[in-house]
Parts: sequence; C-alpha cells; structure tokens
Amino acid sequence: MKVSIRKILKKEEERVLIECVEVTPEIEDIQAYIAHKGAELSGFVQEKHMVRFKLADVYYFEALDEKVFAYTEDQVCEIKMRLYEVEKLYEKYHFVRCSKSVVLNLMLLQSISPALNGRFFAHMKNGEKLMISRQYAPRMKRIVMGGNENED
Amino acid sequence: MKIKKRLSEMIMAFFVSTTLICILEGILGMIFFPEVKTDYGAFFSPPLFGFCSVILGLVTQSKKEPSVRQVLFRLGLHLLLIEGLVFGLNFASGNIFTPFVSVILALSVALIFVAVHVILWMNDQRSAMQFNECLKRYQQENTED
Repeated sequence: MKVSIRKILKKEEERVLIECVEVTPEIEDIQAYIAHKGAELSGFVQEKHMVRFKLADVYYFEALDEKVFAYTEDQVCEIKMRLYEVEKLYEKYHFVRCSKSVVLNLMLLQSISPALNGRFFAHMKNGEKLMISRQYAPRMKRIVMGGNENED
Repeated sequence: MKIKKRLSEMIMAFFVSTTLICILEGILGMIFFPEVKTDYGAFFSPPLFGFCSVILGLVTQSKKEPSVRQVLFRLGLHLLLIEGLVFGLNFASGNIFTPFVSVILALSVALIFVAVHVILWMNDQRSAMQFNECLKRYQQENTED
C-alpha cells in the first residue's frame, strides 16, 4: 500500500485520508489507530480556560455533581459530555466503566488489588487509586482476560 | 453483579465457615467441655451455623455502591448478627456459659469471621494477580497495533 505525506500550513486542517477498494478489518484497524492517536478532547480548566488534550493521556473520567471531568497527568478538565456517552464513545480506545461514576483508561492502569467485600482497587500509572465496584469488575476482567458473558 | 457470581461467593463462604466452625467447636469443646460426649446430631451444627452466617451476610449486599465506611459498618453488623445467632441458639437449646467462656466464644466467632474474610480476600488476590498478568499482555498487544 502506498503511503504519502503532504505538508499543509494550518493545524486545524490536518487529516488522514484512506483510499481503499474495500473497508477490510485491516483498514478498520488503521482507522481506529489513527483516530485514537489523534483523538483530542477539549475541556475547561477551572470553568474558564479552554484546553485541548489527547484522549490517550486521560487516566480516567469521573462524574461529579452532574459534571464530567477528565483527569490527565497534570490537569483536571471539565468536559461537556455525559459519563455514559464517554463510556460508549471511547470503549474502542480502551476506556471501561469501573464504577458508577468512573470510566478508566485500561492502557494507563498499572494493576488492581483486592479491597473489602469483593471489590478491587485500580492503581493507575500516575499513582492514583480508584475503586472498582463489584458490578463492573466482571466486565473489566472479561475485556482484559477474555472469556464470555456467562463466565462472570 | 450476576446472581451466579454472588451465589458462588456465598457457597465458598459457606464451606470456609463450616470448616472453621468445625475446628473451633473441636478446640473449644476439648478445652472447656472435655467431659461432654456428643451424638451424630452434632455433625449438623457447623453447617447449620455456616449456612445461617452466610444468609445473614445478605446485610453486606447492596444495590448501590457503598462507601468504605458503609462496608465496614455492614461487616460489623454482620458480625454482631452472627454473635447474636450463636448465643441465641445456644441459649435456646439450654446451653448457659460462664462469662469467661462467653468471652472466649465471642472472640472465637470474631476470629472465624475475620479468617473467612481473609481467605476470601486471598482468593480475590489470586484473581487480581491473574488480571494483572493479562493486563500487561493486553497493553502490549494494543500498543503494538
């Protein structure tokens, strides 16, 4: 497959165009990869400054008081989305619901450890600790470890 | 959480509790009541207490996600109910203990309660380690894409 890069002047007009005869699974993989790598979000820091950040840099999304926040290494941004939308939209980018109010990035998850009463702690790569509820733990395990719905 | 998963946890708690109650009854009996001879009916006592304890464990279940404090409170309540069950059933069947034996019995019940949770925690620990191994593989596979 031919690959060519054409330089342009405006950052906002950057795009990747795939020309193919048929949309095969490989093409879909390339599309997902590009979309993930390039995926950017915009959010508000302290309700006024608008910032842009990469989706891959988000450790987790959290819903607090009807607002949804994205947590990156060095900032917390409010985004204008509902948590269920985040969960659905970014599922293919390795984001998964771990509790009623948190959707975490599996790619930035360091490890898990057992907590009380069948729940687990999620240790993120930035050192933060989140709670994985009993309700969502089986789905997380299924995504990472494989297996089907009935094994939970 | 799925009913199947919850049931399997309850069954595991039942078997662990029953085993530990058997050991406790044996030890306490030998120390405090060596003269008492038991009949075959005594074999049903550990599974009965184990079953009742597991059923009382329903107080720790919640549809909402409880906070750590709420979980601790519910576990404390579960322990209190088990203590009440043990002393209540003994009292109902005519077994009156001295204060010293009562304290030992209460502490032993608490010890079993903690032991059951430690064993269940160790099971979760094993499951977490498996998950962590798979997580590394998952991250490598998806980074290489």
